[in-house]
Amino acid sequence: MAQALINEGALGRNRRVKRLGRLCLWLNPLVAYFFLWAPILVLVLFSFNQSKSVASFTGFTLKWYSNILNNVVGAESAFSTELMLNAFRNSLFVGAIATAIATVLGTMIALSMARGSFPGKRLLDGLLFLPVVIPEITQAISLAIFFKVAFDWIHLLSGERVFPGFHTIIMAHVTFNISYVAIVVRARLADMDPTLEEAASDLGANPWQTFWRVTFPLILPGVIAGALLAFTLSLDDFVITFFTSGVGTTTLPVFVYGLLKLTVTPEVNAISTIMMLLSTFLIGISLALQGRGASRS
Amino acid sequence: MTAFDVELIDIVKDFDSGGGRVRAVDHVNVQIADGEFFALLGPSGCGKTTTLRLIAGFEQPSSGRVLIRGRAMEGIPAYHRPVNTVFQDYALFPHLTVEQNIMFGLQMEGVDKKEAQKRALESLEQVRLPGVGRRRPHQLSGGQQQRVALARALVKQPAVLLLDEPLGALDLKLRKNMQVELKALQRDVGITFIYVTHDQEEAITMADRIAVMNQGEMLQVGGPKEIYERPGTHFVADFIGETNFVDGTLVERDADGFGRVKLMNDAVIRAQLSHTLAASDGPVLVAIRPERITISPANAEPAERGTTSLPAKLVDSQYIGTDTRYILRIGETIELVARLQNLDDRPKAIFAVGQAVTVRWSDASTTVLDH
Ligand SMILES: Nc1ncnc2c1ncn2[C@@H]1O[C@H](COP(=O)(O)OP(=O)(O)O)[C@@H](O)[C@H]1O
Ligand SMILES: [Mg+2]
Repeated sequence: MAQALINEGALGRNRRVKRLGRLCLWLNPLVAYFFLWAPILVLVLFSFNQSKSVASFTGFTLKWYSNILNNVVGAESAFSTELMLNAFRNSLFVGAIATAIATVLGTMIALSMARGSFPGKRLLDGLLFLPVVIPEITQAISLAIFFKVAFDWIHLLSGERVFPGFHTIIMAHVTFNISYVAIVVRARLADMDPTLEEAASDLGANPWQTFWRVTFPLILPGVIAGALLAFTLSLDDFVITFFTSGVGTTTLPVFVYGLLKLTVTPEVNAISTIMMLLSTFLIGISLALQGRGASRS
Repeated sequence: MTAFDVELIDIVKDFDSGGGRVRAVDHVNVQIADGEFFALLGPSGCGKTTTLRLIAGFEQPSSGRVLIRGRAMEGIPAYHRPVNTVFQDYALFPHLTVEQNIMFGLQMEGVDKKEAQKRALESLEQVRLPGVGRRRPHQLSGGQQQRVALARALVKQPAVLLLDEPLGALDLKLRKNMQVELKALQRDVGITFIYVTHDQEEAITMADRIAVMNQGEMLQVGGPKEIYERPGTHFVADFIGETNFVDGTLVERDADGFGRVKLMNDAVIRAQLSHTLAASDGPVLVAIRPERITISPANAEPAERGTTSLPAKLVDSQYIGTDTRYILRIGETIELVARLQNLDDRPKAIFAVGQAVTVRWSDASTTVLDH
């Protein structure tokens, strides 16, 4: 037998390639997550930095956190805790109302997409993802133009002058939040066995009773998850809010942006860190709720 | 008021599917009596579930009418029909306890909570599953869930109970036990059962009457014995039990329901004609059940009247536990299977493979079918 049954060289090479592959597989997420998280880590780190400059970390302090709550921000006069809290209240107000409206409408859209059959359903289904894919700036500008045109028409027809304000921000937030709610609720509905609704009907429940006693309890985790996602997106939104806001409607992200225009203070890092923690917390609950739905059925 | 619980009058159901059209139910006519155990039997995709859904009200017929207790069901939604369904995958509400699942239907009728609770408990006892009321469906085994689904439907005391392959997901042993139990339960409560199954043995052992379906058509409706012994079509004879089909030519139709058929080896045999036989001559099939064929030594004494006797050769034999299957050949082309029960005191091998034998069967146990 001249030829070896097993080519030892090739086998060794194979093994080395495999080992390298495994190493890369292991490194790949590390690198990816590093790029994702490094800037945020820097931000969090420097919110605890003694020195005002971001050149070096000189020691741990909670000074900046206490400053933003105690109305002292060094020499900068633009900042006041009251203004910040006011902006935060505005954010909560806009977020709560936009979320409530978007959750109801988004859930209704998801239901008609999953259960109804009507012409153009597939097109509509695709359009649902539009706000997720089109650039935020495009959406912001289009909304700003839309409101301008609408207000001009109102002026023309009724002589009444309308200005942007909370109503425009809320409407703008509703438009992008509907999609997110609908997508999350729809995923939940897709998981749900449609024969459960037939079983309810079979047992004498009319469509109204079927919805409230069977469908709704089963999609509720999805609805809550969608609402939390919407609320978070609303709290975090800057671009769209910026283009649709009026006078006295400053939300927290817009407020932070205003601070940045003056100077980069460590207090901005502190506020940003708090905002990030809040958002992460809310999204965490939302994801947990969505995950629970998937594993149960 | 008629004596029928369910009447299907010339029902057609078409589905649009991806441009084409599927006829799931094709001109079905059937009348189901009060208290009957009625089985819908057929291979997968033959339209059994669709038929059930038309009765339940989840589908509307493309044409034809559904009557329940003499009342036309047109325009009456599922939640107003006096029927209940045991779904194939049970469809228990996962967010409710077992007890709440069973109470659901009663509460929809406006029964107050105390009364509903009491009846749910009774119902659980009826299906022999007491003490699980507080549990969630997913905490029960498949067999237990099946009983809960049954209890949930029975507690409504419907005119008709529709069951879609209710035992399909259970293992063989449990299925056999449940068959006996379900049958006993049906006798007790006296509710009409319409029972969908693709298992011919299940249909034969449980049903008062069986409807055999294929490709949306109801081919034959009759008692288990009639369906088994007097199949009307090739499909029915083939689907139910094992059957020998022998090609032949009908040469004569007698007045007594018998005819003469010339087989491929030129032998002419007397055989019973199916009621539905259309052909008056020409090619036909003769169906003979394997257990109706007996084997005797070659050149045995002549057969008595009303019996067919043909020389054959034993080609093979297979031991299959309760029976032995013998593969026989008549002439060059006709192959037959005979089954003889393995009674314990019988010598192991009476006939050797390759041996010449005589096969016999009673003319009345044959059926001549259209080719
Ligand atoms: N909703 C539907 N849309 C399109 N085709 C359907 C639908 N329901 C059933 N069918 C078709 O109708 C035929 C009968 O189906 P079904 O009644 O479920 O059969 P079975 O219960 O006997 O297996 C099948 O060909 C199936 O594909
Ligand atoms: Mg089926």
